[in-house]
Amino acid sequence: MPDWKGIVRHHLAALKLEGSKESEVFDELAQHLEDRYQELLQSGVSAAEAERIAIEPLNTSPSLVEALSGARRRPAPEPPARPNHFANLLYDIRIAFRGMRQKPTFSLLVVGMLALGIAGNAAIFSTFNSLFLKPLPFPDSSRLIDLDDTAPRWNLHYVGISEPDLFAWRRNNTTFDGMAFFDNPDFNLSRMGPAQHIRGAKVTREMLGVLGIGLTLGRNFLPEEEQPNGPKVALLGYGLWQRLFSGDRQVLGKMLVLDNEPYKIVGVLPREAVFPDRAEVWVPLQPRDDGQNHGWYLGGIGRLKRSVTVAQASADLLRAHRARIVAGHRNEITSPILTPLRERYLGDFRTTSQVLLVAVAVVLLIACVNIAALMLVRSSSRAQEVAVRAAIGASRGRIIRQLLTETGLLALVGGIAGVLLGRLGLRAIVSLLPDTMPRWIDFQLDMRFAAFCILVTAASALLFGLFPALQASRTEMSGALHVSARRASFSRAQSRTLNVLVVSEIGLALALLIASGLLVRAFHKVTHVDPGFRAENVLTFDLDLPEQKYAKSEQLVAFYRQLLDRLRRAPGVAAAGASSAPPLGGHMGQFFIAEGDRPLGPNENTPVVLQVIVTPGYFDAIGMTVLAGRQFDEHDGESQQHPVAMVNETFARRHWPQANPVGKRIRYQRDPDASWWEVVGVLHNEKHYGLDGEDRPAVYIPEPQLPWPLSLSVVLRAYSNPESLTGPARQILAGIDPDLPMYAVQTMTGRLDRSLWVRRAYSWLFGVFSLAALVLAAAGIYGVISYAVSQRTHEIGIRMAVGATPREVLANVLRGGMALVAVGTAIGLAVALAAAGLLEKLLFGVSPRDPLVYAAVVLAVAAVGLLANAIPARRAASLDPMKALRTE
Amino acid sequence: MSIQSLDRELKKGSAELLVLSLVEDRARHGYEISKLIESRSEGALKFNVASLYPLVYRLEGRGWIQGKWVEKAGQRRRRYYRITAAGRKVLAAQRQGWKQFAEAVRRIAGVDYA
Repeated sequence: MPDWKGIVRHHLAALKLEGSKESEVFDELAQHLEDRYQELLQSGVSAAEAERIAIEPLNTSPSLVEALSGARRRPAPEPPARPNHFANLLYDIRIAFRGMRQKPTFSLLVVGMLALGIAGNAAIFSTFNSLFLKPLPFPDSSRLIDLDDTAPRWNLHYVGISEPDLFAWRRNNTTFDGMAFFDNPDFNLSRMGPAQHIRGAKVTREMLGVLGIGLTLGRNFLPEEEQPNGPKVALLGYGLWQRLFSGDRQVLGKMLVLDNEPYKIVGVLPREAVFPDRAEVWVPLQPRDDGQNHGWYLGGIGRLKRSVTVAQASADLLRAHRARIVAGHRNEITSPILTPLRERYLGDFRTTSQVLLVAVAVVLLIACVNIAALMLVRSSSRAQEVAVRAAIGASRGRIIRQLLTETGLLALVGGIAGVLLGRLGLRAIVSLLPDTMPRWIDFQLDMRFAAFCILVTAASALLFGLFPALQASRTEMSGALHVSARRASFSRAQSRTLNVLVVSEIGLALALLIASGLLVRAFHKVTHVDPGFRAENVLTFDLDLPEQKYAKSEQLVAFYRQLLDRLRRAPGVAAAGASSAPPLGGHMGQFFIAEGDRPLGPNENTPVVLQVIVTPGYFDAIGMTVLAGRQFDEHDGESQQHPVAMVNETFARRHWPQANPVGKRIRYQRDPDASWWEVVGVLHNEKHYGLDGEDRPAVYIPEPQLPWPLSLSVVLRAYSNPESLTGPARQILAGIDPDLPMYAVQTMTGRLDRSLWVRRAYSWLFGVFSLAALVLAAAGIYGVISYAVSQRTHEIGIRMAVGATPREVLANVLRGGMALVAVGTAIGLAVALAAAGLLEKLLFGVSPRDPLVYAAVVLAVAAVGLLANAIPARRAASLDPMKALRTE
Repeated sequence: MSIQSLDRELKKGSAELLVLSLVEDRARHGYEISKLIESRSEGALKFNVASLYPLVYRLEGRGWIQGKWVEKAGQRRRRYYRITAAGRKVLAAQRQGWKQFAEAVRRIAGVDYA
């Protein structure tokens, strides 16, 4: 009897099924042949003839192997008979799902990489969207323009608006539907439970109209309420209305005591009244229309007429402004500056968030390139499947559509996972945002966010899917069928494509790493700047003395003297003082001249000088260093006969570059009759505008000499934990004036930390993104070189058989891989050199071509590249040539 | 469509129906199925080893029939196929389809069906 199983095995040698399945198929077919053979024998056919007849179908069915192998796997759902696009799609999706299940590692890898890339993009984009794209919560908000004065000759971009400007602009402009002006003062709110400190706004009555909002209750301010010393009325903010009156609608006509003065409540603002920022109550601004300049202290906002551009409005306002100068008022230094509202408050974040957007986009790009490489490798192993499909009549378009459906599905899953992760990321970013972020920024996700996510996901799918699909669909049909039993090997074009992908990955990752290296170096530099004061163990809090109660300067002086004396005696207090502006505590500008200065020409610059009023003990408490002369004592400033001041280094350098400043005299520039103050000491510069801020000249004045600002910051230096001083300080304050709330309680290190928040955040985010990029690129190199080695196993076997040593093989593989790394590095360097200039604003003086960063990054990339190459190279070198030769 | 290819299409379309019908009431092995098709069609339809098994495996893969190895005393083991619940549904649907098709052909061409 013939060996039926042997015969079947011989005919179906190409059938590569799993071991047990294959043997079952052979068994079953052999049994069939046996049955047929026996039957033929019984019908009288000769043995040889019976065998021939039984076997014949195997010989005459050339596609049996394909038919069996296709049928024996879990079968494909039948494609729909008619060309129905929707049904086709469903069919493709089912196939795609099956493909994902069959290759779980591959699918997880793709989905994971994509999810991380998209998560980063979703988080950063939604931040950017909220800051810059979403309309502000006011109708037609693109027409809202911030108004201000600028004074470049004072070295001030924004100085605030003066009252004469207010009237001139409001009367003479022709391009605004309305203009409103405001001041943003703090109020002490009393007689309503414990004293509290709230942010308020003094606004002109156009504010509601300009913002385009109505009132929840009551009426707007009346014109007579805007006259100087007019009636004291208030519009209650929505939040305060809820907090103090539980939303009682009978609130109109009730009184609110602000800074010890009664204000009648005439209305309630809606929830949307979030501008001026953080104002909980509005009272009328009562500007004096007397042509006198009482300082530049107002903010302004205008609603542009329809189809008027900012440039047209600027020109028009400049005209109105100049008319006022011609009319004889002295105002030649300041000029109006118009900025779209959002830009004014968020402009600082624009560069940062754009740079971050680019960074995450690059990470996603690298992830896509990686996925494309993976797909390309996989598609080579699927060449046979594609060829069979093409052979049974699938058009090229149909195959591309099928492959794209697969990538689309992967992208969809990755996209959904990414968006969910991204939302978490956004929540983390928002929870860390600095206090200075305007409250009208809304971080809810919106349609724009959804559109962005869909777009990014689709773009990624196309990016990593289309290319491999095109390549795969071009597979040589007959070739792929012929080699079907062997490993389908890579075409030259495909390996070239893979190399290009790897090179671009390395290039992008390197450029990103350089950017983040520069930013981290800048951050390091900033945090190592000498702040000019000692921030550790310092607690600060603010007090705002009501004008009614502390009308006389002696009262003010006495109050602070008493408070500070008691604080100094409290346990744990090393030093105590107060200042109108501690470091990071805001700017109050003045102009000074020194005795003997040459007179300034009309067009010369006079940089603004920071004026700080301090009590005795302040410099010890904040930890500033006296470089020359002495600091103020208890008696300085008491005598009008002998006024004194201290200056900082920048001021001293500007006025007395050669001489010793101590003993020199200065006075206010604008008033020729002002008294001369003697400089008694020079202070080391403190970083008043933040560690990465500029140094401005500063003048320090003893408080009794100028007891004018009612609000001072108290500075306490503790022996240890400064926060423990809060309770005792509050008690001491209540003992002196129970109506006085202390607010803005914070440690100096906390203030410094917060001032660096944005820089810290983007430096770290950038670092994280670039590391992710490096890891992805390394994985890319590793994958591609490993694959190349596995493709070359046979060739390497031959080399070794004819005498190549493992060392030579190792060197050969490494050379190939490192060549890719070298090309990628060169490209990345070129990109970095070209692009780093864009970061200059953020680099705090670190050169965009900082050689240290470049060298370190190139070394790091080379090291990582070497590592990623070494693993497959070693594997190649340790091949057993005999085994390698048998791999076919 | 040429007569020959129509014939092929008809055969291909009907093959599933035939196999499902044959394993509807009892389990049968592959050779038995091919013999029954040949004998019941009086030689008009023939399946050989190369045409039958791809079809059988396809039906099994779709879950319409289920195969099981059975060993009987004195014989080599054989694989028996029986219809599944899903297969019954498909069979019912295919029967209906063929009935309608044959009825339509009869009305038009005046050909009687068995």
